[in-house]
Amino acid sequence: MELTDAGLVARVLVDDDQHAYGELVRRHQSSVRGLLRQLTRGDIALADDLAQNAFVRAYRNIRSFRGEAKFSTWLYRITYNCFREDARKRKELVGINEEQWQAEQDPHTVDAGLRHDLMHALSLLPLHERSAVLLCCQNGLSHDEAARVLEIPLGTVKTNVLRGREKLKKTLAAWAQ
Amino acid sequence: MNEQMEQDWLDKKLQEAAPYIEDDGFTARVLQRLPARQARLQFLRPLILIVASAFASALTYVLSDGGRFIIVEMFKLTTIPTVWVVVFALASGMIVLAGGTVAAMSKANQIQS
Repeated sequence: MELTDAGLVARVLVDDDQHAYGELVRRHQSSVRGLLRQLTRGDIALADDLAQNAFVRAYRNIRSFRGEAKFSTWLYRITYNCFREDARKRKELVGINEEQWQAEQDPHTVDAGLRHDLMHALSLLPLHERSAVLLCCQNGLSHDEAARVLEIPLGTVKTNVLRGREKLKKTLAAWAQ
Repeated sequence: MNEQMEQDWLDKKLQEAAPYIEDDGFTARVLQRLPARQARLQFLRPLILIVASAFASALTYVLSDGGRFIIVEMFKLTTIPTVWVVVFALASGMIVLAGGTVAAMSKANQIQS
C-alpha cells in the first residue's frame, strides 16, 4: 500500500528517513517546479534552483509541519517564500525566456497559439494576481489554502483571483469564441 | 459562452498548459543537498541509556547491602500461596500485553495518519 504524504512525513520525523523524503520530493517536484517556472516567467534554471532550495528548506523545517494543512499547501508556502525572497533580491528583474519556455510545453495538450497567448497573458499579470491565479486555477488550491500560502487575507485572494481571471479572459476573448 | 463556462474553460486551459515535468535527476540533486543524518546523536542515545542503567544498578546494589533485600523478598515469595503466585503472574502478563497492544496501535495510527 502506498503511504500518504503524512505517513512519509512521520517517517522523516521519527526515523530521519531520507528515502521517505525522496519520495515526497518525487511526488511534488513537478507541481513545485511548474509553479516556479510560471512565477519566474519561464526562467527554468532559476525555477529549478529555487525548487531545490524550497525542498531543502522544507526538510530542515519539517518539524514545524503540524499536519493542520495538507503537506502540499505547506510546501507551496515555503516555495512561495523562496521565490519572494529571491524576487526581492532581483526586484522582479526576471525576463521571459520565451524560446525555452515554449520548448518545455507539451505541444499536444494545448494549441500552440493559444498556449503562447495564455502564457504571455499570465506573465503580464501583476505578481499578486499571477500567484493567486496559478495556485487556485492551475494547481487546484482552495482560496483558503492559497491565503495560507501567500500569507494574505482570504478576501484579498478572492479579489486577486477574480481580477486575474477577468484580465486573462479579456486577453483570450478571441480564443474562447 | 456564459461566465461559468468561460471560467471552467480558462481553468482547463491553465491546467493543460502545465504538463507533468519529468524528474530527470531533480530528486537525486535535492537529496544530495540535504544535511547529513544526525548519526552521532542516534549513536549517543542508546549509549546514554546503557550507562545510566548500569550506574543505577550499581548504586542500588551498593545501597541495598549487596542486594540483600532481593534474597529477603524471594524468601517472602516462597511463603505466598501458589494460587496467588499464579494470579500475580497472569495479571502481570495481561498488563504487559495491554501496554504492548496500545503502543503498537499508537505507532500504526501515527504512520497511517
